[in-house]
Amino acid sequence: MVKWRLLDRGRPVANPIIQRELVGILRERRTFVALSLLSFVFALTVAVRWPTEPRMALSGSRSVEVFRLFMLGLLGALHLLLPVFPATSLVRERNRGTLGLLLNTPLGLWKIYSGKLLAVFGLASLMLFVSLPAAAACYALGGIPLISGLGGCYLILLLTALELCAMSLLVSSSATTTDAAIRGAYGLILGLSLLTMVPHALFVGSGGTTEVVADWLRCLSPLSALSQLLGSGDVASHGMTSPNGVPARFIALSCAVTLICSIWTISRLRFSMFDRSRSSGTVVDDQSLQVRAVRRVLFIVDPGRRSRAMSWFVNPVMIKEFRCRKFGRLHWLLRLVAACAVLALALAILTTTRTIAWDVATIGGILVVLQVALLVLITPSLAAGLICTELESGGWVLLQMTPMSAIRILWGKLLSVILTLALVLCATLPGYVVIVFIDPGQRGQIERVVLCLVITAGFATLSTAAIGSLFRQTAMAIATAYSFLIGLCTLPLLVWLGRDAPFGHDTVETALIINPIAATLSVIRFPGFRDYDLIPGHWWVIGVMSAASLILLVVQTIRLSRPR
Amino acid sequence: MSSEPVIDIQQLTKKYGEFTALHELTLQVPAGHVLGLIGPNGAGKTTAIRILAGLLRPTSGTAIIAGADCVKRARDIKRLIGYMPDRFGSYDNMRVHEYLDFFGAAFGIPRRRRMTRIEEVMETAGVTYMRDKFVESLSHGMAQRVGVARTLLHDPRVIILDEPANGLDPQARIEIRELILKLARLGKTLLVTSHILPELARVCDTVAIMTHGRLRAFGTVDQIGHQVSQRRTMEAQLLGADKVALAAEIIRKGLEADAEVTESPAEAIVRFRTAQTEERLGQVLVELVKAGVPITQFRELQTDLEEAFMTFAYANPNAGNGQMATAGSGAARG
Repeated sequence: MVKWRLLDRGRPVANPIIQRELVGILRERRTFVALSLLSFVFALTVAVRWPTEPRMALSGSRSVEVFRLFMLGLLGALHLLLPVFPATSLVRERNRGTLGLLLNTPLGLWKIYSGKLLAVFGLASLMLFVSLPAAAACYALGGIPLISGLGGCYLILLLTALELCAMSLLVSSSATTTDAAIRGAYGLILGLSLLTMVPHALFVGSGGTTEVVADWLRCLSPLSALSQLLGSGDVASHGMTSPNGVPARFIALSCAVTLICSIWTISRLRFSMFDRSRSSGTVVDDQSLQVRAVRRVLFIVDPGRRSRAMSWFVNPVMIKEFRCRKFGRLHWLLRLVAACAVLALALAILTTTRTIAWDVATIGGILVVLQVALLVLITPSLAAGLICTELESGGWVLLQMTPMSAIRILWGKLLSVILTLALVLCATLPGYVVIVFIDPGQRGQIERVVLCLVITAGFATLSTAAIGSLFRQTAMAIATAYSFLIGLCTLPLLVWLGRDAPFGHDTVETALIINPIAATLSVIRFPGFRDYDLIPGHWWVIGVMSAASLILLVVQTIRLSRPR
Repeated sequence: MSSEPVIDIQQLTKKYGEFTALHELTLQVPAGHVLGLIGPNGAGKTTAIRILAGLLRPTSGTAIIAGADCVKRARDIKRLIGYMPDRFGSYDNMRVHEYLDFFGAAFGIPRRRRMTRIEEVMETAGVTYMRDKFVESLSHGMAQRVGVARTLLHDPRVIILDEPANGLDPQARIEIRELILKLARLGKTLLVTSHILPELARVCDTVAIMTHGRLRAFGTVDQIGHQVSQRRTMEAQLLGADKVALAAEIIRKGLEADAEVTESPAEAIVRFRTAQTEERLGQVLVELVKAGVPITQFRELQTDLEEAFMTFAYANPNAGNGQMATAGSGAARG
């Protein structure tokens, strides 16, 4: 039997994939930028809060405040920066054909998988490692227990990193393109970290099995566990502290999720994952009347029909964008719009029937959060790849060879995003109509909320499209756009979490002025945001940023379409 | 067929910093001709093509297609040429018919006319049967033909095909070759690059060989063959092997002292390379017949395009431009 081991300068390497992957990741410019940025932010956080006076509080409350923000920021950084690496790992190898080569080596499936998982986990550990000096500084200021505080938080973060890697690898094993893998990974992770807390927020105190299930479900989120460890209380529990330890449950559940995702991914790592038959290109028009009738009922707008020629009055690029998007076909848009409408109406009905003792502002606030979350989730995947997907696939040259101007091409592309977002936003309007019907006094606020959402949608479209135009790889463009938009929507909320201590009212207001969620929540007078006067300042800031994004996008498109 | 040049390239140069990708390329192609552009990787073929397509700006020199300057009138050029790059540029979830419809609409072809035109180009390119197939599911050969159909949509005068036969199986290669000939019969002026030289030799009226950004040879395949070798390769086919030695001896006596004469008894052939005139060769043939050598064929072998390509590809890159074969159908200077 051949002993298969690679030698690196005379030393045996247990798993060559770990070395290759980790070195590969560390060589990338984005890794260097991410780590440098993190180190800078951590150092800045501690430097800003470092005591300048010889006296300091024995209670260590200041260091606890900084530590709390620091840990939540670290958790946010893991969510934003980490998934892109494992999410692109398997799908890229498969599309390049190197996964087939790997499967042909004597390395076992477990070794291939663990190599990839541990390589990305190594990067996550490095991210956490660079935060240690800042954490040590907080600890030195006092007030933070070593084992249950510092150790516990880092344990949660490490387990979260491992869980995110395992989940992203699972998504990567089933995706067909890198950008689809990134979209899926971010969506899944956002769902795990935030949406799992929604049932608990809705059913806390209701008793019975529902509450127990909801209670366990929110323990899947690392945010719940970390918040309890940091002494912030249970997230979304309305001040009711859970008798059971959320961190302990999270540890058990995250280990289980990691294990399940790992086994699932390993089970997919077979040659069968390359067996994808080509579509036969069957058209419904050529099928029997019975089949056509059934499909008409199922789809309403059948995607299998032979499409008609483009009309003279539409921008062909817009139609092309809709047609070549997986979810761009009309039947998918109808489903999306229907789901949004149902959700908005369900929330409105909850208000009218008073099933939950929430006021109109709270229900409106939930609607706003859901809408902005939807915008954040959808927009980068639609807008970030508008230009770079064409560059990557070779389609840009073909577009350049048409007599269409760069502006017309860009307008067609933007229009395809704007129309989709407009449909989604319009679908949620019935919810607001119900709110106005219940409380006519809210009409002015609702109008401003809708305006905020429209401005947010415009900003999200323009900014992510502008970011995407700077890249040549769709995966990188989408990941960067997601990081930017999610960061913009969540990081100021970290400052808001530290309102009154350590941040004062003015600081929080300044930080929130760039945040679309906070601005909209302040308009609807959502609890916690009532005290901040963010409009029209927010509109000005977002307007200027949108204009800058538009200019960048136009310049970049013209530059790319000109002879070099 | 007009003899006016449709493609007129004068002193075209493209530099990237210190590196010269294209050096003073001068070339003319009359209407309705098929020009084959060959050269090793990095020879400057794609650079030249991209300048013609209005995708690159030359450092100096001019490129004119049907009277339109490729730099100053880049938008007009788009209507005059159909360009198929070496990458197909597919779009996901689009059927072939939708793909062609999109490009037809992008070229501003009115809806009704577009429908007719799509059927016509699909018929010409032989892709009618795959109209409902998804573009991303096409094989490479199918995709190349759909690409050709796309370039024909707006009925351009000049068609530029960048490596159309690259990566194709023999059957698909034959189909592409026939398609190029079909387009030539339609009166289109074609500029084709390829590494598969026998394919070019069969379809091109004129061939240009480029290396290191310079044009090394230009003309018909025969002219380039003669340019490569001043000596002709001749072959005498005998009825049997028994008189091969005698035939070789007569041929040696009739030619110059350094002529290369090779006997091949197994094939009953005598091959020789000579610089003698037609008259002298005729006398040699008469002497063979007089000596009772049973000759069935006495012919000149054509110089292979591959041989010509290899001669220029491995020539000294810094050497000046060789004397160009003056093609009857075009002109060139590099």
